[in-house]
Amino acid sequence: MKKKLSVNGVQHTVDVDPSTPLLWVLREQLALTGTKFGCGIAQCGACTVMIDGVPIRSCVLPLASLEGRQVMTIEGLAPSDEKLHPLQQAWIEHQVPQCGYCQSGQLMSAAALLARNPEPTDAEIDGAMQGNICRCGMYGRIRKAIKSAATSRIAQSELHTFDKTDEASDE
Amino acid sequence: MKLHTIITAFLTLALTAASLAKAPSDVDATSSSASEAEALAAWQKVYEVFSHPRCANCHVPEDNIPRWSGPSYGLTQGEWLNHGINITGGESRIGAESIPCMACHQSTNAELPHAPPGAPTWRLAPVEMVWWKKSSQEICQQIKDPKRNGGRSLQEVADHIGHDALVQWGWAPGPGREPAPYSSEEVVNFLESWRVAGAPCPAPTE
Repeated sequence: MKKKLSVNGVQHTVDVDPSTPLLWVLREQLALTGTKFGCGIAQCGACTVMIDGVPIRSCVLPLASLEGRQVMTIEGLAPSDEKLHPLQQAWIEHQVPQCGYCQSGQLMSAAALLARNPEPTDAEIDGAMQGNICRCGMYGRIRKAIKSAATSRIAQSELHTFDKTDEASDE
Repeated sequence: MKLHTIITAFLTLALTAASLAKAPSDVDATSSSASEAEALAAWQKVYEVFSHPRCANCHVPEDNIPRWSGPSYGLTQGEWLNHGINITGGESRIGAESIPCMACHQSTNAELPHAPPGAPTWRLAPVEMVWWKKSSQEICQQIKDPKRNGGRSLQEVADHIGHDALVQWGWAPGPGREPAPYSSEEVVNFLESWRVAGAPCPAPTE
């Protein structure tokens, strides 16, 4: 069954069963492999994407529930090919990734946090990031990087979200 | 005047006859007692449902932490855990302050074992409706208090039980979870039997 899907500001048409979780559509239909499969049951956060600005585990989100909603994946987080999102920049500066597998999910949860709360406290960061598990235990660096991005003027002014009016299409 | 006297005398005779007829058998007292006992029995079944993990795990106090309790979690009666990964519903009771409930709980149950359950809305019950670790009498009094039951009459409480999508989830909680006892239709009937009998509350437990 053909379904329309807006990802990173681009309209796609995919032909899959409507019960297919978004993660499989992203990775196998749209070749957006930055979003990772971790546990498959919404327990680890590796597959986190933003739906209308809210962090959601894509491994349990059926495609059927996404009509008219805006999906943002890690591929859409940077404002351009030349410029990273302030969080991505802070991730590099603080050497957050070790194995790196959880990082796209971590970044999407962090981006959603800063979009709604530009200056989070340590407790607010901990609360928002609880659902993203890091096997390498980089939680201290994750918190530092979020604080760093939050306190920079860049982070204040360039938190990136998509507007429906900016949409392109792949058709 | 004469007519008034006749009517008064007639009413006096009638009331006396009625009281004489009642006194020896105590029928009304027995009937009333049976009716209250039936009402309390109906309430007890309602309490059995409201205190079941499918309901009480999310009717939690002001700490805003969903509970994991019941055999679905391998726990025995009285044992419980806080929701995994330090989840809190926050004051919003939908997780808006930290991780939204909807980050994991979608509009339907995920079908894989241990994957999150879902319903069209997913949230903690308002804090004034706390049922977690509350006695039968405490929940009974709360349900009857519009200030603590969402401003509902008892008929509206029954309607809520019969139709609210998240309440209905309690009887269809997905794989690996024990449903709430009875059915929603039965619970609505229990509530109605209890209500028409005067909605008595049980005595406080020690």
